Amino acid sequence: MNEMLISLALILVKLGLIFGVVLTMAAYLVLAERKILGRMQLRYGPNRIGPGGMIEPMCDVIKLITKEDFIPDRADKWVFLFAPGLTALTALLSFAVVPFAPPLTLFGREIPMVVCDLNIGLLYIFGLSSLAVYGVVLGGWASNSKYSLLGAMRGLAQLLSYELALGLALVPVVMSAKSFSLTEIVMAQSTWPNILQHPLAFIIFMISVTAESKRTPFDMPEAENEIVAGFHTEYSGMRLGLFFVGEYSNLIVIGAMTTVFFLGGWHGPFLPPVVWFIMKVLFVAFIFIWMRGSMPRPRYDQLMHFGWKVLIPLALLNVVVSGAIRIALN
Amino acid sequence: MTTVLFYILGFIMLTATLLCITRRNPVHAVIYLVAGFFALALMFYLLGAPLAAAWQIIVYAGAIMVLFLFIIMMLGLAPQETPEGPGWRRWGPLVLLSASLMVCTVLLIMQDPAAGKEIGDFYLAPQAVGESLFGRYVLAVEMVSFQLLFATIGAYLLGRPLSKGEGQ
Amino acid sequence: MISVYHYMSVAAILFAMSTYGVLTRRNAIVIFMCIELMLNSVNLTFISLSSHLQNIDGQIFVFFVMAVAAAEAAVGLALMIAFYRNRESIDVDNINMLKW
Repeated sequence: MNEMLISLALILVKLGLIFGVVLTMAAYLVLAERKILGRMQLRYGPNRIGPGGMIEPMCDVIKLITKEDFIPDRADKWVFLFAPGLTALTALLSFAVVPFAPPLTLFGREIPMVVCDLNIGLLYIFGLSSLAVYGVVLGGWASNSKYSLLGAMRGLAQLLSYELALGLALVPVVMSAKSFSLTEIVMAQSTWPNILQHPLAFIIFMISVTAESKRTPFDMPEAENEIVAGFHTEYSGMRLGLFFVGEYSNLIVIGAMTTVFFLGGWHGPFLPPVVWFIMKVLFVAFIFIWMRGSMPRPRYDQLMHFGWKVLIPLALLNVVVSGAIRIALN
Repeated sequence: MTTVLFYILGFIMLTATLLCITRRNPVHAVIYLVAGFFALALMFYLLGAPLAAAWQIIVYAGAIMVLFLFIIMMLGLAPQETPEGPGWRRWGPLVLLSASLMVCTVLLIMQDPAAGKEIGDFYLAPQAVGESLFGRYVLAVEMVSFQLLFATIGAYLLGRPLSKGEGQ
Repeated sequence: MISVYHYMSVAAILFAMSTYGVLTRRNAIVIFMCIELMLNSVNLTFISLSSHLQNIDGQIFVFFVMAVAAAEAAVGLALMIAFYRNRESIDVDNINMLKW
């Protein structure tokens, strides 16, 4: 009983810690994105409130909470109300299996630095990312607006198509780790990070993960100059905020996924493992912001053609080749 | 613990299914169906099949139902005003039929003497399933993959825009 | 105590419900969803028996059922699009061209 209580308390502490860190990081990523984009466009970005604009995220949250939560007249009310939560929820739940440091030994107990080390951790993340599409689609559909519907359908087709390439790109990683558990995948990279072993898989993964995150080179679901704001055109107040919480936590999820699957997780010289992990996550997030600042948006049909005709065959070929190499080496 | 979980999941699944088959709006039906699939996936997990649970979420909730949603949205069927289904007299026999089917099955299952035992602790690691799939059943896996390829081609042929002089 | 027949009963109820859905609904997509539901109740039976008999084969079968369901969904939904193109509706009462 005592044992169970302790492990329960540990899980709760870890959950609280992760949620706190992720939500704060998400809020400050918004600020960082605005600042970096500003610098890239030769302007300052937010710098009025607090030193260097540091209190800006708080003001954004207060603004969003106090705004009117508007529901369109012909909207499907309940679906409209819960869709944004779905986006945020799927992004936040992904952190349950992400290991951020090697197991810690404290008072003679070994504490794994992950909320729950599922032996199907990779599939869990994959499943959650495939469920993330529901928030977009249902939100867009329930708004009962043609722009929202267009955005939702684009988002649906895009996410569904690039998920295939994403899954196939991760097959070589699972092959070399011989496990779906994220902790074991990181353990398997103690000498070489996977990015050196599977460079092609890494490139395919990065492209498809960008499409999954619906961020700028691939932001057709919310392309401002074509369909107003896509699936969240009709949203306002905190529900719009929830979509953004989802988007930026998703950015951190992607950073964590890239780190765990390809960049060697917490492994690194000199510095403590947690610091390495957070640094790698932030580096990946920076690359995404950089891409947003410098890449134009392709046309929608180009996106689909690229996904189905280039990325998926390439990913399949990559699976075959890396499998053959594994067999040849053994 | 398992008992409580089983009853909660079973309740969720059956309620979701009931709502799914009675909703007029197909999008609502999809939402309830996905909720039911979730409960089913957790039930698989409870039965010691984590891999099957993951498949259930990824394949059913994440791909097949999303495809349904796409078709519903593309064809613009969502707000359906016409009353669904014929009147009481026409679907009364169907209720009777499926209810008796259900009762018979449940009775048959309960009659089996081996079934009274508590379901054992069984846990199947993903590795074991993988070894079995790509070892003993590799031919079947290949056949299924061919079937998926044919389905892709078939869906493409059926769904492609009609060229000139065709189908008129 | 939860035995295998609890799970099997859930599967049976699920199957009966989806049979009812298939027989009474007129929207072809909802009928199709009910068929998926039937496949799922079969999956539940497979998994619970696999757990009951301590045997791996049930789960392998679930894998194949899911692959078949995915293929079926792709072809079936493409058929519905083709039908909608011709009839502007997917009400099964309108699918009567082969009716004699």
